[in-house]
Amino acid sequence: MANRGEIAIRISRACRELGIEAIAVYSDVDQDAPHVRAADRAERIGPAVPAGSYLSTEALLEAARRSGAEAVHPGYGFLSEDAGFAQAVEAAGLVFIGPPAETMKALGNKLTARRTAVDAGVSVTPGLMVAVDDAVRADLDDLGYPLLVKAAAGGGGRGMRRVDAPAALAEALDAAAREARAAFGDGTLYVERLILGARHVEVQLLGDRDGGLAILGERECSVQRRHQKLVEESPAPGLSPKTRERLAADARRVAEAVPFHSAATVEFLVDSEQGHWFLEMNTRLQVEHGVTELVTGVDLVAWQIRVAAGERLPPDVLEARPLGHAIQVRIYAEDPWRAFHPAAGRIGAWRMPDGPGVRVDAGGEAGLDLPTEYDPLLAKLMVHAADRPHAVTRLRRALDETRIGGLPTTLGFHRWLVDQPAFIAGEYDTRLVPDLWGDGPAPSDDDLQLAATAVALARTSGGTPGWGAPPTGAGEPDGDRPWARLAREEAVERD
Amino acid sequence: MTDDEEILLDGRPIEPDPGWELAWVDRTHGEAVLRRGAERVAVLIEGGPSEWLVTVRGRRIGVTVRGHRDRLLAESSRLLGRRHGPADVRATLPGLVVRVAVSPGDDVAEGDAMVTVEAMKMQNEIRAPRAGRVASVEVSPGQAIATGALLVRLADPEP
Repeated sequence: MANRGEIAIRISRACRELGIEAIAVYSDVDQDAPHVRAADRAERIGPAVPAGSYLSTEALLEAARRSGAEAVHPGYGFLSEDAGFAQAVEAAGLVFIGPPAETMKALGNKLTARRTAVDAGVSVTPGLMVAVDDAVRADLDDLGYPLLVKAAAGGGGRGMRRVDAPAALAEALDAAAREARAAFGDGTLYVERLILGARHVEVQLLGDRDGGLAILGERECSVQRRHQKLVEESPAPGLSPKTRERLAADARRVAEAVPFHSAATVEFLVDSEQGHWFLEMNTRLQVEHGVTELVTGVDLVAWQIRVAAGERLPPDVLEARPLGHAIQVRIYAEDPWRAFHPAAGRIGAWRMPDGPGVRVDAGGEAGLDLPTEYDPLLAKLMVHAADRPHAVTRLRRALDETRIGGLPTTLGFHRWLVDQPAFIAGEYDTRLVPDLWGDGPAPSDDDLQLAATAVALARTSGGTPGWGAPPTGAGEPDGDRPWARLAREEAVERD
Repeated sequence: MTDDEEILLDGRPIEPDPGWELAWVDRTHGEAVLRRGAERVAVLIEGGPSEWLVTVRGRRIGVTVRGHRDRLLAESSRLLGRRHGPADVRATLPGLVVRVAVSPGDDVAEGDAMVTVEAMKMQNEIRAPRAGRVASVEVSPGQAIATGALLVRLADPEP
């Protein structure tokens, strides 16, 4: 498992259910991390900095060789979409658990993916079909603003910038190229027209090595900040049956235009008139694969492994149809009231929900120091119910059972979300976070008084015993120094 | 609580509601339940002794307990005002400085990007909290920084 955190735990679980020994890798800060303990064995791969460990093909292959591994699962992020890594794994005589390297290479580059989609007869968002250079900058004005600058090698919202007017273009291109180079080692950019008020909907694919291809429904992923998803659900609400069919058919066209097996996702934008455009294809397992697993009953990770071993998909997988409704919320160590600013620190309280229809895939636990080098995802909370209204009430119930201390998290945002009429009705698009949440609602007077009351009572009952460092986001370390605190608060307020 | 102490939220004094009682669920981690008659509200209570964070319904609320001396200090800083005087701009999270966009002597407007810090795989722009003149820049690209590290000192803008 060339990964860490909750996804490495997820893969371990699939391996162990299949009777396969799961081998974790770890950087120096992860030696005793939950994902290491979830595996049968573990190999050190290097220092905390990802370039020396989870992003190092050499270190990962060396660990695979040392441990006698037969196959490598890349998870998501890190090297999961790196065709060079897939090739190196295969060249070392191991099986890469993912689509063929040539397909990863062709579709991993968003520009090539756009051309592949167009050739397959699938419409793409209006925009450049070539990389941004001085020659095409003049064409951008014809496209019309607002524009979206994207990294050809991109993903996860990095190297992406919205541009509202020509004057802001140069700075956005510079910033996006810098971020893309830092994240992907490739600063190549292209530009699309930004389609406002669209939904982000993606179709799950699972294929075997003999041409068997399952279209496992779609997921709605429009609740996003920084172009990164926070909430996903399946089936997507608000799709007409015709649009749902068209998305599935288009996803099949793209998959059949390239050599394909394993799991992948085709992403689309769907506008309010049910128009749809191909965005990109992710040649890997998605963070949100669990909602599809809940509604289809298909274990995507287990099937990735079985397909990699040469098995064919059976009819019950090829013809799987969604049952009921599933929703996932991503719990990040981020402060939703400070523009979802990521936080670091030590997790305090850690209480995950359970009961009927609840699944938690988590990489956190009480007392864990969250390394700053990696993604701040703490847990994915998923619910499954007979229909969407019941899934929403189940999610609300599960959120009320969940407690995480020590760090700010997105829990408060999710708890707010499940009470929003637009979310309850399933009528929302990518503007939900910027327009409806904005900077977040002010606390109610009741909540303020409860907080004051809680502190007063905690002090009279001896106070908290101080289980460690002060929680991240408190006035500390300047807590008792009003001058320093003032400056710090100002810095916090503005970035 | 002693007589000269007060509980502040966002700088505003709030009186605790005497109708509630508190029971610890997991005291080590600050998990507690507030009860009033048949009502129960789960809370997380963290921090102290002066700066606290209380989580109610997923939302963290900062609570300050302030004695008489603190109150005087805070009052004087409020009188000086946030718009004037030197201001230290500090890192709000640990990471790597990837870009410094200002130099000593530069005039910045409120909201101008000054330093880019990469953390959690994201590039975060640290912006000027207010208009001013850059008095000093305390970091350079490639430097790893901790939470609270001084990044830039601002002085008053030239009149």
